[in-house]
Amino acid sequence: MRLPASRISQLLFLALFLFLFIITDYRGKDEITVAVNSFFRANPLVLASYVLAVKGFTFLLLPALLLTIFTVVLGRFFCGWICPLGTLIDLVTQRIPKSTPIRFLKGSFKYYLLFTLLVTALFSVNISGILDPIAILIRALTLVFYPLVGYVARAGWSGLYQVAGEGRDNVAFLYDFLRYYILPFRETFYPLAFLSLAIFLFVLILERFERRNWCRNICPLGTLLGLLGRFSLFRRLPTTICKDCGDCRSHCPSAFDEEILQADNCIRCMQCRTRCRFARVQFPLRWKRPFLSATGGQRQPVMSKRMFLASVASGFFLSRAFSFRHPEKDHRLLRPPGVRSEDDFLKKCVRCGECMKVCLRSALYPDLTRAGVTGLFMPVIIPRLGYCEYNCTLCGQVCPTGAIPRLPLEQKRKSVIGTAVIDKNTCLPYAKKLNCLVCEEHCPIPEKAIRFETMDDIDRQGRKVTLKRPYIVDNLCNGCGICENKCPLEGRSAVEVFAGKKG
Amino acid sequence: MKRRDFLKLGVSALVASQLPRNLFGQAGQPLVSVCTGTDYAAVTRKVITALGGMRAFVKPGNTVVVKPNMGWDRKPEYAANTHPLVVKTIVEECLASGARKVKVFDNTCTDARRSYENCGIPAALKGMKNVDVRFVENDRFRKTALNGRFLKDWPLYDDALKADVLINVPIAKHHGLTGLTLGLKNMMGIMGDNRGYIHRGIEDALSDVNSVVKSHLVVIDATRILTDHGPQGGDLKDVKVLNTVIASRDIVAADAYATTLFGMKPQDISTTVTAYKRGLGEMDVKKMRVLSFRF
Repeated sequence: MRLPASRISQLLFLALFLFLFIITDYRGKDEITVAVNSFFRANPLVLASYVLAVKGFTFLLLPALLLTIFTVVLGRFFCGWICPLGTLIDLVTQRIPKSTPIRFLKGSFKYYLLFTLLVTALFSVNISGILDPIAILIRALTLVFYPLVGYVARAGWSGLYQVAGEGRDNVAFLYDFLRYYILPFRETFYPLAFLSLAIFLFVLILERFERRNWCRNICPLGTLLGLLGRFSLFRRLPTTICKDCGDCRSHCPSAFDEEILQADNCIRCMQCRTRCRFARVQFPLRWKRPFLSATGGQRQPVMSKRMFLASVASGFFLSRAFSFRHPEKDHRLLRPPGVRSEDDFLKKCVRCGECMKVCLRSALYPDLTRAGVTGLFMPVIIPRLGYCEYNCTLCGQVCPTGAIPRLPLEQKRKSVIGTAVIDKNTCLPYAKKLNCLVCEEHCPIPEKAIRFETMDDIDRQGRKVTLKRPYIVDNLCNGCGICENKCPLEGRSAVEVFAGKKG
Repeated sequence: MKRRDFLKLGVSALVASQLPRNLFGQAGQPLVSVCTGTDYAAVTRKVITALGGMRAFVKPGNTVVVKPNMGWDRKPEYAANTHPLVVKTIVEECLASGARKVKVFDNTCTDARRSYENCGIPAALKGMKNVDVRFVENDRFRKTALNGRFLKDWPLYDDALKADVLINVPIAKHHGLTGLTLGLKNMMGIMGDNRGYIHRGIEDALSDVNSVVKSHLVVIDATRILTDHGPQGGDLKDVKVLNTVIASRDIVAADAYATTLFGMKPQDISTTVTAYKRGLGEMDVKKMRVLSFRF
């Protein structure tokens, strides 16, 4: 079978996406030139919610502006030619038998959803990333599949050592190749892996009902692109299924509901044109009014006043109803380096998971409730699992919207995540009169933000001891968390980073 | 072998191993070679030649572990890691002596990838045949009986345990807890698990490890030393350039001599004192034969 151009493009972009995903990592260079963030920087949904939330623009999102313009001219081609989630759906959908479409989704549900997300953004809570298709895919990869692949490969390699011992070194080049070019460097498991997987699988399971179910009935990015595509100069003709043929019903992945073409859902894949036996299908260059009244068989979904008002109401509701934050959790709300204000972060973060993917020491994890429900999937540092490496600036480099600012190294070293606090009830020199100082040893600040005082004491056995007791120099500590990470006490660390007040 | 013979052998071996080494006549005066000069490769080669050359340590076909300090994400000039040229010269000497394989690794303190990259050692060794510079892999640590005073057992790196020759190549630098970190402490780089645990009994713990895993040759890099805010440093103000390399078979002697470069006395460093008391080597500089060279 001849592959249509759109399918070739889809596969190429999927490959590009996976390639960029894998190279979004430390590869011996302090700078990352290209990363998978390109897919977000060219994402009009990210652009729209950023602009509404921040009430401003960033040049990081210039590609998204370009894609918006292309979409206005060409229509919703992104979904049929580029979107990697759409490609995956296309790849699996043939193996999933279909029942009947879900009627509930056939109204104006997706418009309602999109506008709710955008209105929520307008009220300074940017949650559209939770349902952004690229973010769904990256989170599933970062939080679930990539660690899993790493785990399986590593466990296999480990097992080989148990069997073959040093003889394993003979095939080390194979593993080295995998390890240096493909596998994650470190074995990390993430919280919310299950939720990320569930959302991803939900998108695939929707294929039980009809093809591209997610894309045509829910996806907020697709909906936005569909609306923009209404202005497109190229539209498919004929707009209904031809009585004498009807092949389009099976060729078209997304746009036909029963007999009628849903212009918003035409993803310009050109399958119908390529495969039409009568060469009837055309995409002529022709201007048409983008918003038609619901007459003449053009059953465009209603952009009614009612829908719009309801979206405003629910958007406002969403933005405020879930903003409760437990004060007990606030002090551990450790955001990536350079994030100055929680409010600002909430406006800009796409929750795409790239910072977690790139984080050198696996310090960043998706959050469930520390910042309230609206903080879902946003990154927090869990120092006991990983600390912020002093000389690393990668998260700021891959963040597609600058929610984590891209800082020069000197500035990043000084940007404060929190402040370390020593618990004298458990810290060995205080609590057990034993020397330790592992925290002081690891503190990366050249002048040392952890210092110690030396004092003579009598230990619990009555012997004279010279104790070195650590203390924190608050104005030098940047809260990187290496002390908490390396504290040799089992379980809870005797030194912990507490988030400071952010401006 | 009869049970009686076996017991005799066992007991006498046990007794012998517990005797301080300097009871055995000739071993009494350890040899320490010191060389100063700006050509670090020549300086390193010189101190090894003065001890009889690398052939005295490495036999053809041997597997050699060279254990530098590459534990920190710092560039060579910050004196937190062993100088790449010192390491490279030692590796070259090992290969020239017929080593089958030279393995270079460290269980790093900061991120392994950044530390390996920025310490400059893997880059210096790049492309050399029969040289393995690999990251430490957790599954290669073996729980090893130490039966020491502080540590009963600990996971140690298999490659170090299995090597025919272990060459310990620390950098001389300041350390908050122990005053200085030198050869004895550099062996923490073969320890796995939550090794920070040993800080609470660091003197005995280091002697425990060094009693079981012997460094056949210790080469201390004092080409530049870190005089404060160690072991990580980060400020060139704390770095002093001495252009010196020290070598000895006796780890305590090497450490003790290196201590004097900081203007300190070996007895100020409790880890050295404990190792001396436990018979791991000589700490009295007057009792060493010191061969000094200068280029």
